[in-house]
Amino acid sequence: MNMHRRVITLVALALASVSPAPAFAQGPVVLRIADAKTRVVVEREIARAAARGLPLQPLIAKAMEGVTKQATGERIQVAVSLLAKRLEQARVLLAPSTSVAELTSGADALAIGVPGTMLKQIRAAWPVERSVAMPLDVLTELVARRIPAQHALEQITALMARGATPSQIASLGSSVQADVAAGLAPDAALDVRARGVMSLLPSPAAAAASAPSGRRQP
Amino acid sequence: MAGGNRDGVTRGSAAAVRALLLSCAVALRATAQLVPDVRLEAGYARVDQAGFDPVNATLLALFWRKPTDRWTLFTSGNLTYARDSLAAAQGVAAFAVPWRANDHLRTDFGAAGASFSLRGAGRGGNGSGFLRQHYVRDQWGSWVGTAAGRTERDRRRTRSYAGDIGGWARWRSLYASASLSRQNSNDWLLLLASGQTASPRAASYELEDWQLVAEARRGPHELSASWTHRRSVAGADVRVEAVAVNGELQFNDRLTFLASAGRQLSDPLRGLPEANIITASLRLSFGPKPLPVMQRATIADARLIPRVEGGAHLVVRVEVHDTITIEVAGDFSEWKPLPIVREGNAWVVRVALPPGKYRIGVRANLGPWLAPRNLARVRDDFGGESGLFVIP
Repeated sequence: MNMHRRVITLVALALASVSPAPAFAQGPVVLRIADAKTRVVVEREIARAAARGLPLQPLIAKAMEGVTKQATGERIQVAVSLLAKRLEQARVLLAPSTSVAELTSGADALAIGVPGTMLKQIRAAWPVERSVAMPLDVLTELVARRIPAQHALEQITALMARGATPSQIASLGSSVQADVAAGLAPDAALDVRARGVMSLLPSPAAAAASAPSGRRQP
Repeated sequence: MAGGNRDGVTRGSAAAVRALLLSCAVALRATAQLVPDVRLEAGYARVDQAGFDPVNATLLALFWRKPTDRWTLFTSGNLTYARDSLAAAQGVAAFAVPWRANDHLRTDFGAAGASFSLRGAGRGGNGSGFLRQHYVRDQWGSWVGTAAGRTERDRRRTRSYAGDIGGWARWRSLYASASLSRQNSNDWLLLLASGQTASPRAASYELEDWQLVAEARRGPHELSASWTHRRSVAGADVRVEAVAVNGELQFNDRLTFLASAGRQLSDPLRGLPEANIITASLRLSFGPKPLPVMQRATIADARLIPRVEGGAHLVVRVEVHDTITIEVAGDFSEWKPLPIVREGNAWVVRVALPPGKYRIGVRANLGPWLAPRNLARVRDDFGGESGLFVIP
């Protein structure tokens, strides 16, 4: 299959990237893939996802990743199809969140084996108007580092409950990475770093008091 | 083979075994203290020298490599043994030192010692040293070098000198080089044993070699072919061509199959005679962190350096030989390879990224996409893997 000279222009690209759900409304997607058979199959898969109201940007990115990596058409189709399923699952689990970033983060978490119930717990830890993309991303990274999902979830939701910012939560992941590189076990690194971030945050009572109507502020 | 020569072979074999054990001891002691690349190769060779019946030989080699930020040390010990007819042991130590002042310059130097007992070329030992200056760009490079060697064979000492100049270029998975070398030697026995000349006509002879090498690489797998045209410039009437083919097939991180076939021209610097050689061997890579053969993208690592304005600089450093093609790509580049530069012993990519979650892959010689070794690893849905990182 001649996919070496493939790629690249995506037209009508779902520029729903930062907008919530209704912006998923999309025109036909045209993938510039040299191999016609692959192109047709992948475009059909993406059209099906579009009909279900799923964001197209991550699906197109996945397809183009496969093209760039010279995967077979069949493999690209399977990858796009699986991602569409995960996006659909994430949409249900993270409801009412509908941003592309959150759905993509949720789908990525599911891909590495994070249970769906944990996505719900993450979503519930913050008010709906606040994006949980970053906590999900950090959860995914920690689980990919072989930290038990339950343990990682507990640390992250504890930080969310204490009013940690997305940046503080994200720094947890990079700090654990540095500790692991230095030879510390991932589990131990997570505990130490989570305590470090926690010490910078207000007490649970102060965090609750600062949140109007019982909701924590972003 | 004459009885006296057989005795010589026996003594030579004992010396060869001692040399190999010494190489092993040195390499293993160093291994215990550092985190090197250690490889053991064992195999079979069929050696066909002019005027002799072909013989079967056993090959055994230990290779040890230790890189640092500023230099890389290679050492190896080799044993070739064919029961009653051929034995040789060789130890090599070499340094590769990039220049601090100029990332495009690298100096290689080293020394080798050998103990041998060869059919038709006596028994004894050899010592040689080399110095080579490289100029390395992203897709091409050149070098100029010099070398000297001394050989003692049946208590007769000879000396050899050589100079060479060459260049290489790379395009995707293909690599090609061309070189010219001149060798001056008074090791007539080697030339006589190679059947390339009938009798000495002068105190020394001078050879000129033109060599072309082409290689195709796919990940850790490699296939190369070389063609050499040799002619004598002075002292002898030599005109000969040689073709050789080599292949490496890596089964997994630790096990590689190697095969070669072709003609090895006489090498006065190292005291090696001309022969047609076929080899097949297995290479086992081991050690605390197996980093086989400078070709694994997993020797890449990624660092995040926070930016004052937010986000971070991603710095990916891939430590491999400069002739290896490296590609670094990620979802942030739509999986298109990023610009890469040579810095010291490594290929380096730098890119500024805003906060977010990213995936990145590295591959060598169009092989599988792999994650930098210090990042969290996730499958990429296409049979490879990606490194995952989050920028606060």
